Amino acid sequence: MLRRMNEWKKSIVTTILGCSVSVMCVSSQALASCGAVSCFITIGSQQQVPMAGLLTVNGIYSYTPMRLLPGTNGVIPGIDTPQRQLILDHHQEARTITQMATLDLNYGITERWGLQITIPYMWRTHHHIDGLGEDGPNGEGQSTTFSSDGLGDMRVGLKYNLLPSLRSMVVLGFGVYLPTGVTNANDSTGTLMEPTTQLGRGQVGLNPTIYQTYELIPHRLNQFAFASYRHTFRNNVGYQFGDQWDFNGGFNLVTVPWFVLTAQVNYRYMVHDNFSSSLLRSATPADAPDFPGEPVVIDPNIENRAVPTTGSTFLAFTPGFQISLDGMINSAWTKMTSAYFYSQIPVVRDSNNSLAQGTSFIFGVTRSFQLLNLS
Amino acid sequence: MKVSVVIAILIAGLLGPWTFSGWSMGSRVPVVGTLAEDFHLVDLNGKPQSLGEYKGQIVLLNFWATWCKPCTTEMPAMQRTYDRLREKGFVVLAVNELEDDAKVREHIKQYGHTFPVLMDRDNTVANQFGVYGLPVSVFIDEQGVVQEYIKGGLLTEQKIYDVVGRIQKLEPATAASLN
Repeated sequence: MLRRMNEWKKSIVTTILGCSVSVMCVSSQALASCGAVSCFITIGSQQQVPMAGLLTVNGIYSYTPMRLLPGTNGVIPGIDTPQRQLILDHHQEARTITQMATLDLNYGITERWGLQITIPYMWRTHHHIDGLGEDGPNGEGQSTTFSSDGLGDMRVGLKYNLLPSLRSMVVLGFGVYLPTGVTNANDSTGTLMEPTTQLGRGQVGLNPTIYQTYELIPHRLNQFAFASYRHTFRNNVGYQFGDQWDFNGGFNLVTVPWFVLTAQVNYRYMVHDNFSSSLLRSATPADAPDFPGEPVVIDPNIENRAVPTTGSTFLAFTPGFQISLDGMINSAWTKMTSAYFYSQIPVVRDSNNSLAQGTSFIFGVTRSFQLLNLS
Repeated sequence: MKVSVVIAILIAGLLGPWTFSGWSMGSRVPVVGTLAEDFHLVDLNGKPQSLGEYKGQIVLLNFWATWCKPCTTEMPAMQRTYDRLREKGFVVLAVNELEDDAKVREHIKQYGHTFPVLMDRDNTVANQFGVYGLPVSVFIDEQGVVQEYIKGGLLTEQKIYDVVGRIQKLEPATAASLN
């Protein structure tokens, strides 16, 4: 994972990984680039196992912009799924903005076992130059926009509270991403958009997780850590999103009973995507007189090929706060209700010349309901 | 270094201290009908106390904290039943979790509680009784056998009378009849 990074980046990440031991976990989805990612932040009420019969509901809104990093030009391969073609240097990325509203339901089946269902609804806009070497009088390509909204991939998971005590908790989880998200949206020219920009991945994904928390100063300061791995199977258009590793770690500080300050460090590593396709390259001036022109075939055989410029490394610092409405206002409407806000600020980014996540924002409300008294 | 090795190290780092240090491992809830495990704690006056000292009495072992609203809400009911039944072989042991003496003493003084308050400063007794949420109330009979284990919820005078009466095999008394 480190070999693609510059030396100074290596030392920073190594130091942080070496010190952290436990870093946090994220529950949000992330997609590879032509690109779209979403915030990946640990929200405690999502990761814990509620008491038996207690339903915890999180309503979360996130805003995630993606732009080019300085020193990159955003030229990436084009993915033509109907033709099963991977065309090198075919697009030039400009930006992606993803907004997501997530409904997360977390239910305590027993004191140790919990069930979690996560339902995302997404709005995504994307802009790139398509058809480099092919479109336009000088092969400069064509400006293309994409906009779609709809259901993303739902996640269903089971969690087990392995080592509960008043002071600490270790929760093992196993989730399955279901291919409920939209995968057939078209861009402004009526062409099917690439898998990495669609709202869903089009295939099942497996997602084991581990979450840990410990009260350093009981009811005043606690630490938490999370690790997550996601594997997505190849979908029916031959595209497979790369494996994804998330590590988060941080602290919560109870300043007054109704106001908690929180800070966490988030690390995400994504392996290259893979596409079962033939291999082509965009025409260049050296191909004159066939420039601008059709892409040039390099290998016509359909093979599993790593998609260059996918895969990424991302490290961020995320401060935030949580307000307990129950502690502020004595009302039936505020019972067991909190609101929270985070801002995820990139520290280190390596996106292989593609779009990289910028500063993102999350706002959420959590409320618990005692559905059954099983104690 | 391979990613898988890094992951393994991080997971070991996550679980290792918590698994082997004994800091925080919660044990299982005691089974009703089995002997309650003895313990030794210091009360708010600095006097060592043990569960075994109360053999021969019915014990309401209540785990609580000042920041736990349901805990403090049910304590007046515990106080009233303690006042009425302490001469009949009933005692309340309020085990405070992870707080300092000054804060607990202030709370006890403010609300006028007179039952013994024991300080579980390192969470050991809570772990012994499988407590990872508050409040928890454990009723232990005269022979030291666990008769009831109540997690969360609110203890009322009637509830306490009903359990004590069942343990003593007495007619259940009503709160109104004690006025």
